[in-house]
Amino acid sequence: MDAQLKRGLLDVCVLAAIRQEDSYGYRIIKDLKPYIALSESTLYTVLKRLELAGLLTVRTSEHEGRLRKYYHITKAGLGRIEDFKDEWREVMAIYQFVSKEDPER
Amino acid sequence: MTKRNFLAALRKQLADLPNEEVEERLAFYSEMIDDRIEEGATEEAAVAGVGSVDAIAAQILAELPRTKQKKAKPTSNKRLRAWEIVLLAVGSPIWLSLAIAAFAVLLALYAVLWSLVISLWAVFVSLAAGAIGGVAAGALVAISGHPLSGIATVGAGLVCAALAILFFFGCHAATKGGVWLTKAIARGIKRCFVSKEKEK
Repeated sequence: MDAQLKRGLLDVCVLAAIRQEDSYGYRIIKDLKPYIALSESTLYTVLKRLELAGLLTVRTSEHEGRLRKYYHITKAGLGRIEDFKDEWREVMAIYQFVSKEDPER
Repeated sequence: MTKRNFLAALRKQLADLPNEEVEERLAFYSEMIDDRIEEGATEEAAVAGVGSVDAIAAQILAELPRTKQKKAKPTSNKRLRAWEIVLLAVGSPIWLSLAIAAFAVLLALYAVLWSLVISLWAVFVSLAAGAIGGVAAGALVAISGHPLSGIATVGAGLVCAALAILFFFGCHAATKGGVWLTKAIARGIKRCFVSKEKEK
């Protein structure tokens, strides 16, 4: 997959994984496993990028006597998911156009 | 591999990163391993699940320019300045004494220049005194009945006068040169300070 495209998809996938409720690193990876392969190092980079862009916030809380970071989606983060859905409606229309022409060769 | 060994090995490989970033990444992997263990994995399996230290370090370092640049630049600048200040302070016993020594040498050279001028004038004064004294004493000696030695003394006095006149020109030129040099140095120092203020 194109690196730029994958980056965009990863961002939206991670945002979607924390949309319903705040989540933590390992759970995000597990939740996304059926859809997209995501290594710990990649997740770290994605989370950092989203945090810097103001699409999510981080809080540290204690869990079983140790610290765990929880990620919370912001309004801007929810907006990014909506933008993605709009974009992909366009992409899907193009996809249908492209694949319709294909078998008629 | 135990979690502790894993984190220690990763820390070693990330030595070039800013400390704050290393700690944040280690905490991230530590949390990942703990979550796997909590889910029922053995420590060994949990560490293996996160991936090999080499692969992780390679990926982090490959992504470095994009994630690190913005943060690292201003801090490195500040660090350099602090470093310079520390170096200046620590090195002050050396560079300060060297600077004082250099200043003292220059001052001494300047003093030597003026003492040369002064000694030239002293020679001129003594020649002039010799001329006057010689002529006056020679005249007295000639009048008092020793014309030959009197004339010789007057002659010596005249030679002194001639030398004095020559020396006067030399002294005058030397003094002029000294004054010119002093003015040039003063101008140089002034220019030094003015340009420094402009730079600031």
